[in-house]
Amino acid sequence: MRLTRLVDDAYRGLNRGRRLKSQEGDPIFSLDDLAERVGCRPSRAEVEELLPPDPGTLERLLMSGPGRGYQIIWGHLSSIAAERSPEPLRLPARDYAGLGLSRGGIILEGEGESVDHVGERMSGGRIYLHQGAGDYLGQEMTGGGVITASVGNYAFRRMGGGWGVIRGEGGNFLALGSSGGRVVCQGGCGERAGWLMSGGSLRIHGDAGDYLGLLMKGGRITIFGRAGRRAGWRMKGGTIRGREFGPEAADGVLGLD
Amino acid sequence: MPDPKKKIEALIRALEELRLHVARKDLFIGDRRINSQLYFSIANACLRNRALLLYGGMGANKTTLINLLGSSFLSLPFSEVEDRMVTGHPEQTEEKMVGFLDPRQWMREEGGACTVLWTPWSKSRWKLINEVNRFPGGKQNLFLEILKKRKISYSGQVNEPGDTCYYLTMNPEFSATYPLDEALLDRISACVPAFQPDFLAGLALSEREREVWELAGELPGFTPQEFDSLPGLVAGKRLDPQVELAVLCLVRDFTLCERAPSYDKTQLSSARPSRGLCAGCHYSGNPEAICWQVDEGLSDRVRQDLRSFCRAIAYLLDREADLEVLKAVAPYVIWHRINPVRSIIDRPPYYGARKLAFVAELVEKSINRTMNERMDMNLIFSRAVDGARSISGAIEELSIFDDPIARLDFIPSLEEMR
Repeated sequence: MRLTRLVDDAYRGLNRGRRLKSQEGDPIFSLDDLAERVGCRPSRAEVEELLPPDPGTLERLLMSGPGRGYQIIWGHLSSIAAERSPEPLRLPARDYAGLGLSRGGIILEGEGESVDHVGERMSGGRIYLHQGAGDYLGQEMTGGGVITASVGNYAFRRMGGGWGVIRGEGGNFLALGSSGGRVVCQGGCGERAGWLMSGGSLRIHGDAGDYLGLLMKGGRITIFGRAGRRAGWRMKGGTIRGREFGPEAADGVLGLD
Repeated sequence: MPDPKKKIEALIRALEELRLHVARKDLFIGDRRINSQLYFSIANACLRNRALLLYGGMGANKTTLINLLGSSFLSLPFSEVEDRMVTGHPEQTEEKMVGFLDPRQWMREEGGACTVLWTPWSKSRWKLINEVNRFPGGKQNLFLEILKKRKISYSGQVNEPGDTCYYLTMNPEFSATYPLDEALLDRISACVPAFQPDFLAGLALSEREREVWELAGELPGFTPQEFDSLPGLVAGKRLDPQVELAVLCLVRDFTLCERAPSYDKTQLSSARPSRGLCAGCHYSGNPEAICWQVDEGLSDRVRQDLRSFCRAIAYLLDREADLEVLKAVAPYVIWHRINPVRSIIDRPPYYGARKLAFVAELVEKSINRTMNERMDMNLIFSRAVDGARSISGAIEELSIFDDPIARLDFIPSLEEMR
């Protein structure tokens, strides 16, 4: 069979259409559209690669609600926008805000449910939360700083650098597994703060729950209130200083001068 | 000889009326709604040397349906058809399935050729391999030589039952099943999911008062002439040129890979799209390109199977073998042969579980692109191949098309011709 005849027969009566376009420079209409191209859990580079340079698209995407499916994409977009902005960016408080932020500032506004994963994996810049944060604030951050009214559980988990200030109460597992950075909690915190900590410093101005510095290997914990029971239990390194410790505190804990 | 299609229609009606196969009509072709399990099974009976796999949970009427169809198409008692199937388990051997050397020949004084006692399964032209994924991996290799073939050999002897209809059934992965080898999967022409009866089907089945083997006797039986005439009638169905072209492009869409040897994804073993092969590739992340979304390429068997099943389904529905038919058939021919990249299939609306729906979407994309966007490049290429225009000019024009087929298939072909 002659190929021309087959192709001519196949396209008889049809109009010529567009060609397969490269993704470069393609407009992005919504978070849905972006997610279709990069998936729901893309890397920062994947999002950045597709994002057109015009600020209008970024602004429109940031203002649209990510729902439960596109939070990570929205988080990357919030960081990209903050890094491009000469002034601190005011955004509605949402999960994953400031994900991987490397410079610039974000001010999160709005009341309602606490937001999780804010400032996760950030390496620079500042994030300020008017309201309290939910769980996993500043998880795996290596630089930059976060100021929040209060936090839920697992704040600053596996933190490697940077700083965090909690102006109110902290939840359980504060600075779990952290290896660097500085955290100041101006209120009290729940149990197991500084658990498995290997570096960095944690200052707690209020009371702490049980098992403060459990299994810690390094770093410094200072508590100005009262520590719960078994502070410094099975600790292998680092220092815990405090004014008052509950029963069964480890022998190695120190008093405040 | 009466028209076998009338008898096929009577068979479909009888299966429903006798409550032998009541299932939801899950496949849309044009304005027709049909049950994919039933129609693909019958389509396979109208073809020869193709293999159909019914995939589904226990009690989804896979084995029974195939035996019922075998009983009808071969005009044999249901129990006799049941006796002809082989069932997978680790102790199953080639001797039990295919045949064995006749031990009596060693007692004879006169010499002569070696005698093999062939099993009913190996002599049958209706071969059902039940629970195929209960064969251990090594034993599955036996079927690589048998599936889609007209003859079987054992110990130097050859048994030639002739053109055969092959069927297989399997459950999803259970504790006693084994993964199916990719080469075996590629020899399976189409794979159709078999679902559990829904509410109304359950109600209908509860009204069935007689046993299956009793009711099977009431199904219309085909004469050998009618059964043998079916492949010819199907082959007489003309494929629309759009289907021919869309099939070629569909197979190439899945197979071409810029980073594979000879741009052929079937050459890959450890490097795959899901293992980072496509990182930084021009097409990666582009939803219009299919190459990066699945790990495997498609073999030429897919092209043959697509053409055969399009014809067979069009014959059964008494309609043209057009793009509607191809769009309906192609997912069932492709989905068992490929593995989508997990980052795509795991997210909504597929949730890691709706692979057939995902493949149907890829098929739709490929066909739509061929018909709506590839006209220019296909016209340029066809005219250059047929000598109606200069090859150099065609290469130059094709080079502006950002399409894997133009860049990785058409241009290299024209460069060879230059």
